[in-house]
Amino acid sequence: MNYLKLVFANLMRNKLRTGMTFGAVSLAVMLVVFLLTMPAGLDALLNSVASNTRVSVHNKAGIVYSLPYSYVRKVRLVEGVAGAVGTTWFGGAYEEEGRVTFPNFAVEAEHVGAVYPDYGIASQHLEDFRRYRDGALVGRQTMKRYGWKVGDRITLKSTAWAIDLDLRIVGEIPLERSPVVWIQRSYLDEALVAQRGQGLGIVHVIWVRLEDPNRVEEVMRTIDDMFRNSEAETASETEKSFFGNFFGSLKGFITIVLLVTFLVAACVLVIAANTASMAIRERSSEIAVLKAVGFPRRVVFASLLAESALLCTSAGVAGVALAYVFTHGLRSFAAVIPSLGPLGSFLITPAVAAQGLLLSVVVGAVSGLVPAWGAARKPVAEAFHELF
Amino acid sequence: MSWLVSPKGKRYTVAQMRWVTNHEEPLVRTVAVSRIYRRGVDEIRALDRVSLEIPAGHFVAFMGPSGSGKSTLMNLLAGLDRPSSGEVWVAGQRLDILDEDELAAWRARHVGLIFQFFNLIPVLSARDNVALPLLLTHLDKRERSRRADIALRIVGLQDRASHYPRALSGGEQQRVAIARALVTDPDLIVADEPTGDLDARNAETILSLLRRLRSDFGKTIIMVTHDPRALRFVDMAFHLDKGTLLEGEEAARAHEAIVVAASGGVVGHVLP
Repeated sequence: MNYLKLVFANLMRNKLRTGMTFGAVSLAVMLVVFLLTMPAGLDALLNSVASNTRVSVHNKAGIVYSLPYSYVRKVRLVEGVAGAVGTTWFGGAYEEEGRVTFPNFAVEAEHVGAVYPDYGIASQHLEDFRRYRDGALVGRQTMKRYGWKVGDRITLKSTAWAIDLDLRIVGEIPLERSPVVWIQRSYLDEALVAQRGQGLGIVHVIWVRLEDPNRVEEVMRTIDDMFRNSEAETASETEKSFFGNFFGSLKGFITIVLLVTFLVAACVLVIAANTASMAIRERSSEIAVLKAVGFPRRVVFASLLAESALLCTSAGVAGVALAYVFTHGLRSFAAVIPSLGPLGSFLITPAVAAQGLLLSVVVGAVSGLVPAWGAARKPVAEAFHELF
Repeated sequence: MSWLVSPKGKRYTVAQMRWVTNHEEPLVRTVAVSRIYRRGVDEIRALDRVSLEIPAGHFVAFMGPSGSGKSTLMNLLAGLDRPSSGEVWVAGQRLDILDEDELAAWRARHVGLIFQFFNLIPVLSARDNVALPLLLTHLDKRERSRRADIALRIVGLQDRASHYPRALSGGEQQRVAIARALVTDPDLIVADEPTGDLDARNAETILSLLRRLRSDFGKTIIMVTHDPRALRFVDMAFHLDKGTLLEGEEAARAHEAIVVAASGGVVGHVLP
């Protein structure tokens, strides 16, 4: 017989209630931990895809508006620019009629390597992309999703240009979560001329790689100044900022979800407090007897508080473990279910795990504090008077 | 002249009672103790200037009707409550000047408590229930367990040590409660209606056991009871009514009423 045994025996007194409270706190901690990974996960995702020397140049009115193709050549001449590639949305659908299941763009094959050296695309694949006018470079995620391999032939039906293109996969973009597909701009251009007598003529986004990361602001300003008061003014931003804006709506959603999570945590706190209060009230006579046989108030208080703290902390550990399993599960599924999007990037860091555990400790301490204090401070004679 | 009444109906003055108990220094002494409860603007005088002495090694009953103040007096002597005025001395310690925490520490060392409804912890075995007060000592786990087993052997439940309260009869539960009261070897054992929730046979067993604690172990026992059978087991009975300790003729009449009740109305068979 020791204090721990006493605390544990009291926790096991009503197994169903203890189990339910354990489950509620576990799930709440799991939810909170998972959602806390979102901001960090998004940041990590942006860092993983964004380079600090790459900037996007697009129409000031928004990325759905185009820029004249001539802008690309002008941008390449700006001092400090190491390379620039114009990308145009192709919006090709594969098999599933009218539905674009991966992003695909027409790009200038000869400039891709200069702008994306960090992607690690094999030189042979880049060479083949330049050589074959119907060539396509495909992101690894899309390769895996459709079971494609280099040499396969596919047809994409454009939802943007009302044209079908037969393509030959000549290489892979070796980024694990990259779904993107690049096709030759000149191939699309020729096909459009043949179909409607008019070429492409536009780009949607010009991706620019700079020589010096310290001159990013200066070069962006130079580019935007160059096209000021033109028919299509430009807005330049870093790659991280570009993708950050792209995920902007998701961030707003996360803010709402975090708010809901906070409310859930508050609800669980109230539930846990109510449970602790009920558990203590049911044992009023036993607590009175403990005090009568000489247990000091601080010991009674500590043992009662220890019950809720032990319950909630162990539930917190379980919740963090569940969140860990859940995020790893999502990560595994994200490779085969692209619709999970950035959810597959969210992994629990030690800091987030610690926050989850801290939440459970706080819930345990706060929920047990008031009822334990109330039971402990009541004079033993008063307790007996009420009970017997 | 103040009177106390022995179980056999003999009347003693307080001074004589002290002489009867071989001039021992009293273990328990109260001096003009009063306890007043306040309910809003109302004052309830539960105990009114009660003075008494109880020698060490005696088995004493507090008797009286409901609301007479016997439980209030017991609470004061057990250090569960503090008087509104007067002095309470037990085992050389003045209790009325101690605060709540000091009283708790004092109870842990000097008092064993027995309750009407046993009040065992249902999720602990008999041994763990008995060992509970020993958590407040510096004894290690093995020694606590050993002492709990000794206490259970004294009450004849050594073979029920691993049983939980729900698996014990009412009489057995009360014997476990007695072992719990005994395990710290206290100066004073205080029992509040210990037979109140038991049938006649179990009540006799409990009263015999308490008597044996007095005779074999020299324990001082104070028992609050309505049970007239208790008179056969105790050394002396204090009668209370409306918060006062009855003395003289009043005490004698109260005592006789209880004896008559115990005899089923045939007074001549009981009185000497």
